[in-house]
Amino acid sequence: MQLTISAGDGATVVTVEEKRLDAAIATHFKDRMREIVVAQKQPIILDLHNVDFMDSSGLGAVIAVHKAMPAGMALELAQLTPNVDRVFKLTRMDSVFTIHAAV
Amino acid sequence: MGDMTHIGAKMRDPTDDLGCGQPVFVTSFMATPLAVRATLTALLKRFHDEVSDDVLGRLQLVLAEVLNNVAEHGASEDGSYGPQIHLCVTRHPRGLACAITDDGVSLPANCLSPRSLPQLGTLTEELPEGGFGWFLIQDLTHALCYYREESHNFLAFCVPFTPGAATDSADCPRRKCPDVATDWPDLAAVRRC
Repeated sequence: MQLTISAGDGATVVTVEEKRLDAAIATHFKDRMREIVVAQKQPIILDLHNVDFMDSSGLGAVIAVHKAMPAGMALELAQLTPNVDRVFKLTRMDSVFTIHAAV
Repeated sequence: MGDMTHIGAKMRDPTDDLGCGQPVFVTSFMATPLAVRATLTALLKRFHDEVSDDVLGRLQLVLAEVLNNVAEHGASEDGSYGPQIHLCVTRHPRGLACAITDDGVSLPANCLSPRSLPQLGTLTEELPEGGFGWFLIQDLTHALCYYREESHNFLAFCVPFTPGAATDSADCPRRKCPDVATDWPDLAAVRRC
């Protein structure tokens, strides 16, 4: 489970360095991200440009991280690949998250 | 059921066609999330040159939901036995026909009841973190069919090349439960083991 943390403009950018955000990795991703969001104390942009595939387990993990954000802090998403974008659209979670085309 | 591993766990030669002139992918594996991932990766390679990225994306999503569901819920209650999955994917004129058998516990009937999305709620803390899987499966497939026979689950469906286009198509041939012996000779072979 590789995540890269970098400073963005008023937010922390977390880049997922994995090609698949699936059932094999979802729990680990969720646990690692929860540690990060609590420690950062500012909005998070989750950069998913490396993620070629995500299933409902990965989606559930992203939602869980969203719910774990400190009060008043947003989790936003960036650079969804077509397979990831499909899951957000089909489940209408694209209406819940702010999604950026670029970081 | 140990014999199942001798049938699958490998890809067929690309020229192999089950007698209908179309490419096929057949494999057998233990139901674990990592084995599901490896299987889907091999499946992508097999069909990469055959169908579009969009179709492959939908196929991969549906199969991830189905196969990981077996991995998560198919084991015996005491956890002593993890199910074995047999997967067959065949290209048909209007879609990819998929058949999955496993020897895990029976699929609850409500999985196949018409599904809508779980309620999203109005507050962040009310957002559902699960319950999407069977909605996605039903939304992305046609001719979804399930039955239980002795100790095996049998699930079949079609992922259409054009979304929404194959509901009345005889070319996407799994509108009713197929005859295993004639429609799925590989699965019939598994049953005989």
